[in-house]
Amino acid sequence: MTHEHRRPDAAGSQFDATLLGIAAVSILLAAVAALVQIRFGAYAMPMETALRALLDEKVLTRPRVLATVVLGESTARTLGLFADLSVLSNPTIVVWTIRLPRVAVAGFVGVNLAISGAIFQAITRNELASPYVLGVSSGAGVAVVFTLVFSLGSYLLPVAAVVGGTAAFAIVYLVAWRGGTTPVRLVLAGVVVGTIFNSLQTGMFYFIDSNGVMRTAIAWLAGSLVGVGWEQFRIVSVPTLLVVPLAVVAARHLDVLLLGERTARSLGMSVERARFLLSALAILAAATAVAVAGLVGFVGLVVPHVVRTFVGTDYRRIIVGSVFAGPALVVVADTVARLGLPGTQVPVGVVTGLLGGPYFLYLLRRTGTFSEF
Amino acid sequence: MSQPTTQDRTDAREPRQHDGRAIHATDLQLGYGEEIVVDVETLVIPRGEVTALVGPNGSGKSTLLKAFSAELAPETGSVLLHGESVNDRPPKELARELGLLDQENTAPADLTVESLVTHGRYPHRGFLEGLDAEDERAIDRALEMAGVESLRDVPVSELSGGQKQLAFIAMVLAQETDVLLLDEPTTYLDLYHQLRVMEVIRTLNRNRDVTVCVVLHDLQQAARFADYLVALDGGDVYDWGPPADVVDDQLLADVFGVDATVSSGDEPTIEPRRALD
Repeated sequence: MTHEHRRPDAAGSQFDATLLGIAAVSILLAAVAALVQIRFGAYAMPMETALRALLDEKVLTRPRVLATVVLGESTARTLGLFADLSVLSNPTIVVWTIRLPRVAVAGFVGVNLAISGAIFQAITRNELASPYVLGVSSGAGVAVVFTLVFSLGSYLLPVAAVVGGTAAFAIVYLVAWRGGTTPVRLVLAGVVVGTIFNSLQTGMFYFIDSNGVMRTAIAWLAGSLVGVGWEQFRIVSVPTLLVVPLAVVAARHLDVLLLGERTARSLGMSVERARFLLSALAILAAATAVAVAGLVGFVGLVVPHVVRTFVGTDYRRIIVGSVFAGPALVVVADTVARLGLPGTQVPVGVVTGLLGGPYFLYLLRRTGTFSEF
Repeated sequence: MSQPTTQDRTDAREPRQHDGRAIHATDLQLGYGEEIVVDVETLVIPRGEVTALVGPNGSGKSTLLKAFSAELAPETGSVLLHGESVNDRPPKELARELGLLDQENTAPADLTVESLVTHGRYPHRGFLEGLDAEDERAIDRALEMAGVESLRDVPVSELSGGQKQLAFIAMVLAQETDVLLLDEPTTYLDLYHQLRVMEVIRTLNRNRDVTVCVVLHDLQQAARFADYLVALDGGDVYDWGPPADVVDDQLLADVFGVDATVSSGDEPTIEPRRALD
């Protein structure tokens, strides 16, 4: 019995070379994309100016200014932290209030979608599962289009998306439940509920009578980060701070679930309860992303998958890897979405789809098999 | 039938060593939906012994194991583990006392043997707890006992069928339960690994006093390794007792539909001749 032998589960061991590599490459990609995102745009500035604005000590060394930028004027005032932002230079204003929050939100969206997908892939024991597999996307879609068609106020859109997505998930669970659930029944119920909701959504599209509303609806359904700021950052950051540690804790339970239901049960897991709670965590993560970015596709599907091919099926590694790789993908994709075409922006979901699709095509050609772990 | 329930209650309060029964099923009816598959008046798995459940396909062996492990709730009757109903126990608590090895097992391809065995500690760990020294000792003991120590870092997908079965046995050993249920652990294995598996089970029983209940396909194997046989026929107990008492021409004819000569020595030897109509 060699005691210096490295335990697979011991604390710290998950920070092995592969994982460090994923983290390093992800951070590098995200940083480069973020710099490009901050430097270019309608307000043109040289890289030097952009960097100077990003590291502006008027923001970084003054907690009140920083608080006013990140928390918003009214919250800062309530907390007694308000500072007048007019002392800041134009480049600093552009970088700190327009371009930087978009990068930050993109990063958080990536974290949530990647974690959500990773969890659903274990629950359904299917590598092709995405955060939207249990109806979240169609539920959120219907709610968003409904809100737009009946002009309930666009400030309600994030709430509508979360409520719609969660409601669809609840319906899927009820449909799938027959003295218990199985991965297959859950996925089938997801397909059925999704089909019905998508029809409703398409039907409601006919009642949209203005081009602007149509554009907003499409941006939501495709997933877009146009116009997000610190307000969206605040919406997304609180649940994310909950989701990430919970997902790391959940990893061991996901590993046991992957041994099959009977084995998990014989090891003392309350399988139904665990599956529901893990689903709820994944839904929380997905809804968080949907609330600020709409239905960005492929991220939750591709990221855990790519991470798995590097680190294996140990879920703690997959989760930690996804926390880095998810933001990298979304930040890069959003940079392409915003700056790729001159004069116009495309929804970020279009770019992630264009990147993710070919990846799966490549995978399909290479392995020919998908559904086995 | 006169198994008084009051006696069970007193047993439950007594220290366990006074209770000769690890598992005690009474008036047990098991089924899937409308269909009743198992109907047993009383069935005892004696404490500290190796008991084999034998019988032809469809006689209810696996169904009975499902009831013992609380996977299947009985239609009527009860299954007591050390005097307490298995269906009333929280799953984690039950898993610290009762281990179950399924007939067929799957694991993610790149999971190493050691990681797999680590999962055997699941019921012993709290929601946030890591592995403590006791967990590590249990894992080492299990790897050693199942004879897969040298395969520690090998992914499960690279193992032969027999090695894989031993790795999964190591996982349930790491659970360190008083009672172990095994569903046809030798069925798809080559002769060498069949013997290895049965020897591990024997050692576990002798050295650690673990009660074993094993479903076996092979009557000869059951007669050789088990202290007690429970012969099942059509969902009911046909006979119960030490192999020498249970295995005879009559059992082979009545339960298995086989004409055979059984010669008794240290253990009964079965020579099957032909299938009866």
